[in-house]
Amino acid sequence: MSAFLSNKVFSNISKFSREVKPLVSLRGITKKFPGVVALDNVSLDIYPGEILALLGENGAGKSTLVKILYGLYTPDKGEVIVYGEKTKILSPRHAVSKGIVLVPQTPHLIDSLSVLENLIIGLREYGVFARVDLIEDRVREIALSIGIELDPRKPVATLSYTQKQLVSIIRALLLKARVLLVDEATTLLPSREKEKFYTLFRRFTEGGGSVVLITHKVVEALRVADRIAVLKSGRLVGVIDRDRARVEDVRKLMFGKTVTNNLQVRLKRTEHIDGGKRVLEVMGLWVSRWFGDYVVRGVSLSVRRGEVVGIAGIAGNGQEELVQAIVGLVKPVRGSIRLLGVDVTGKGVELTRKLGLGYIPDIPMRYGVSIDNTIEENIAALLVRGKIIKWRRVNEFTSKLIREYDVKAPHPRVPVKVLSGGNLMKVLVSRELAIARSLLVAHNPTRALDEVSARLVRRMIREKAVGEGVGVLLVSEDLDEVLELSDRILVINSGRIVGVFDANRVERERIEELMVA
Amino acid sequence: MVYLVVLRRTKPLPYASILVPVISILLGVLLSSIILYLLASIPPLALFNLIVRSFTSPTVLKDTLILTLIGLSLVIAFKASIWNIGAEGQFHMGMLVATWIALFTPIASIPVLAKITCILAGAVAGALWAILAGVLRAYVGLDEVPVTLMLNYVAYYVLDVLVYGPWRGRFTYGYIRTDEIPENLWLTLIPGTTAHVEVLATVLIVGLAIWFMFKYTIVGLRLRILGSNPEFLRASGVNVKHMVVLALGLSGAIAGMVGALYLLGDTHRVSYPVEAQTAGYGYLGILVAWLSMLDVRGLPLAAYVVSSLRVTGITMQIAGLGGTAIVFLFMGSVLLTYTVAKVFSEYTIVIRR
Amino acid sequence: MIEELIGIVPVFATYYLVALGHGFFEKSGVLNLAIDGLFVLGATIAFALAAYTLNPWIGVIGSSIVCSLFGVFIAYVATKLPVSHGALGLSLMFLGYGLSLVVGIPVSNYVYAKALNPSTYTVPATDTVLVVLLASSILIGVVLHYVLDRTKLGAMIKASGEDPHVAEALGVDVVRTRVIAGVIGYALIGLGSAYFTLVWRSGWDPKIYLLGHGWIAFAISLAAGRQPILTMLTASLFAGLVRHQYVVQVALGLSTEIAKMLPFIVALASMTLFYVTPFKRKMASPKSLGKPYYREERTV
Ligand SMILES: Nc1ncnc2c1ncn2[C@@H]1O[C@H](COP(=O)(O)OP(=O)(O)O)[C@@H](O)[C@H]1O
Ligand SMILES: [Mg+2]
Repeated sequence: MSAFLSNKVFSNISKFSREVKPLVSLRGITKKFPGVVALDNVSLDIYPGEILALLGENGAGKSTLVKILYGLYTPDKGEVIVYGEKTKILSPRHAVSKGIVLVPQTPHLIDSLSVLENLIIGLREYGVFARVDLIEDRVREIALSIGIELDPRKPVATLSYTQKQLVSIIRALLLKARVLLVDEATTLLPSREKEKFYTLFRRFTEGGGSVVLITHKVVEALRVADRIAVLKSGRLVGVIDRDRARVEDVRKLMFGKTVTNNLQVRLKRTEHIDGGKRVLEVMGLWVSRWFGDYVVRGVSLSVRRGEVVGIAGIAGNGQEELVQAIVGLVKPVRGSIRLLGVDVTGKGVELTRKLGLGYIPDIPMRYGVSIDNTIEENIAALLVRGKIIKWRRVNEFTSKLIREYDVKAPHPRVPVKVLSGGNLMKVLVSRELAIARSLLVAHNPTRALDEVSARLVRRMIREKAVGEGVGVLLVSEDLDEVLELSDRILVINSGRIVGVFDANRVERERIEELMVA
Repeated sequence: MVYLVVLRRTKPLPYASILVPVISILLGVLLSSIILYLLASIPPLALFNLIVRSFTSPTVLKDTLILTLIGLSLVIAFKASIWNIGAEGQFHMGMLVATWIALFTPIASIPVLAKITCILAGAVAGALWAILAGVLRAYVGLDEVPVTLMLNYVAYYVLDVLVYGPWRGRFTYGYIRTDEIPENLWLTLIPGTTAHVEVLATVLIVGLAIWFMFKYTIVGLRLRILGSNPEFLRASGVNVKHMVVLALGLSGAIAGMVGALYLLGDTHRVSYPVEAQTAGYGYLGILVAWLSMLDVRGLPLAAYVVSSLRVTGITMQIAGLGGTAIVFLFMGSVLLTYTVAKVFSEYTIVIRR
Repeated sequence: MIEELIGIVPVFATYYLVALGHGFFEKSGVLNLAIDGLFVLGATIAFALAAYTLNPWIGVIGSSIVCSLFGVFIAYVATKLPVSHGALGLSLMFLGYGLSLVVGIPVSNYVYAKALNPSTYTVPATDTVLVVLLASSILIGVVLHYVLDRTKLGAMIKASGEDPHVAEALGVDVVRTRVIAGVIGYALIGLGSAYFTLVWRSGWDPKIYLLGHGWIAFAISLAAGRQPILTMLTASLFAGLVRHQYVVQVALGLSTEIAKMLPFIVALASMTLFYVTPFKRKMASPKSLGKPYYREERTV
């Protein structure tokens, strides 16, 4: 059936001698978006039986590349050759019919539909009036073959993140994929689960299929991939065999020379935090998403003046809801939140903002900016206190931020939508850092940033705490970031705080264990 | 096989804000003339002649002013992405309250103050009627389009109840309608036209105020952000519910004001059944607002074009069709072509084979 | 009693079919604001065809066909192009009003000139006909429920309504799916609107564009969370109210105008009720209803 279940094993796959024809080739692919060239004349071959790691910093164009292969994006130039034949991939349906399947980072599944419904809609062999449960047996069989248990009649909303990703894998197998495009789908998984996925991918390639694995963890890529391709600002800057690749070389390709050296600058810490006043106090907080379905379960925590409290955890363990409750975007069911001693529980963002809260949201396009408005207007919306806007002042301030944070924008009056993801994030982060007076709530503040900008932002956050005594609640899926920035580290799992660590006495393994448990 | 792909332009189409309305008006008129030719055998040339003549008709100025005001009302709401389709009802509520003051209160006899009171009361009534929809939208979560639309019907019938019953006049020659309002309330004609000085003044004052609001005030900025990303507005510490109610309230206030002005300047009384007598300004205003590309400065021109089309419809009596049919056709076709044409200001279509 | 119930059938069939079609179409994510205009157009076309051919069933079929063509148009344009669903729907609403007047007035004159008795071109309201009407409407509702709940097509439609981007990524042809929903939905709207002139009203009224029955059907569908089976309930409620408007009017001592207002007020009230109760959570609108769809939309 699918490549991985068949027994055909290609010989000599790791060498990729030129006798083996590529499954898929890209020739001179170019794709432009407003304000950015996402892919610039990229040519790449994908061979049968290989795991090809696609590396590159944020915004390098990795997702764009696989989305083109999967028919989600239309390239401006260049061609795609599938099994030796020039092909215009018009849609995911079309891609699937060629055996190309994408497994994205945020699951492409419809929450309110059952697993079966989510799966059958992509199966061309069934007519439109086919009953959904016709595929139940097949789905259960495949689930069993990769060693997972789940009830495919249940709505996807009831599944955990890991289970959702596994459903995507089941889907790929159900669709008899030959080329699996894995876009950061493993990045957020706990390490044990991650290994399981890698084993699956290996089995898949042993059956003659190929996997394009997107990640930004260099070490991991070197361990699991056969070849490594590196994208930088939309250009393919190198393709290396695993045997010949060294971590430093790959890093250099990804980031350029300068960064690699100053990766380990120590950040300043606030002294005598213990004496500081509590800026934020959260007591026994419960937040529900749907009726009766609690996602935050009795969280208590506090942040003092000048302190950075980091919350480590795997995505989807209640971080989003916790942050939104503190900011005032959702009403908690029980518990209390105090900001500067004022009870702000369920009182809305108006109050928390008035008390000097800065907020860097996880989903910038939703809560952080209005992309149809200009940079200037996005700044003015939070900065202007009076009723009348003095545009000259706003303009000066905006220009200053643009300079300080090196935002690539022609001038402050362009709409935010012409900025690339990283620059958009910089506008947002610089604004929130500028307005935070008591507490900064930062949720994945550097996710969309390249390494240099991420360094800058981390330093600014630290300086905000040390220099101005602002308390910082840092919620991040990047454990390294949490470890680097925090004075105190809390571990969240299934909506509960399951561990508290002092920055001086962290045990990384113990934290990871708690995150997964 | 030919396959059409829609792509966002990397640079916006130059002159889109002029090209889009002009092209959609031309294509829209063309579409209606084709429909009228095919279904009612109206010769396109005769129709075009009539349209051209309508542009210089002496009655156009009156409609232009009124529609500019309704356009202003709707631009406020539309910029905030609040689709107020209820200007028609808000207009009639304004008319209702103005009628009441003019006919049944002592204020009516005080010069100047009477007019101002009528107009302001009309604004308040229109605002309240719109706020009803605003509250349902903000606090209950009901889509404002069906709500404002249904409230139009309710407004018609409320006025009908009054005119048919308690407000029916004594000197109506058998018609079911109210008495005429006192003459000291009538608006002043601009010589040589059917338009009124007071309406022109209102256009200037309200127009300037709204232009200033959107350009230089934080409320204006917030309304615009409400239109593009309400979630961000909420996260920035603004009470979005209040903003929704405010947008509808302001919008309704202007529409209600126009209802009062129309009574004082034009009809001087209300006739039953209201829904059959209406000029449909509330609906025409939707077209005006969109054709202006939601730019206050473009409103008078858009209003002028729509007024001329309306005059064409009214003068057209060939084939026994009432003017209503043709006005609807014009509105529908121009709005349709506008909706599609607007896409091309931001997107292009490429053909893949 | 039975008589009164039978009397409700034409009203029920009209409202139910229109609301069903509307709800089915909206499940696919296209905001359907054209409903009232195209309801009026369908009713007019049914009347015109029936009067010219003296065969009501040609009117019924013709109305369904014309309306489903509009359904195709709306679904295609609203999905292929990132347009405002609201503007598109309203423009077709006005076009519907305009077209129906252009088509209807000459036919109305023709009927008048020929002194055609409505019984020569409308559906005879015999008990058998009404029972068949009722049974077929309910059957259609049950079939739609089955399609939405159990079949691949239903899953495709719901997926397109919840999130067209994800649906597309899962292998759904969103354009095609919505076009199918548009054809079926608007065929039913056409059917229901034909019943309006040919069974319920037995004739055409030049003020037809002022009646707002399409909006009432809109509210009926919304107040039932667009669920075919529940819609049966809300449709009967409104049918009873409208059919027995006069009874209600006398019973409550209302004037005619207030009675005319009543369906709209009840419609607003029932939508509000639906939204403030936990029903809303259970039967929420499709998440992407009315959102312009651009395939290559930015997410980062
Ligand atoms: N649909 C889109 N519209 C506009 N810009 C986009 C879109 N998708 C990606 N981009 C931009 O293209 C660049 C590359 O993005 P992406 O391929 O997602 O990067 P990566 O996956 O390597 O982090 C970024 O600057 C991003 O902001
Ligand atoms: Mg990516």
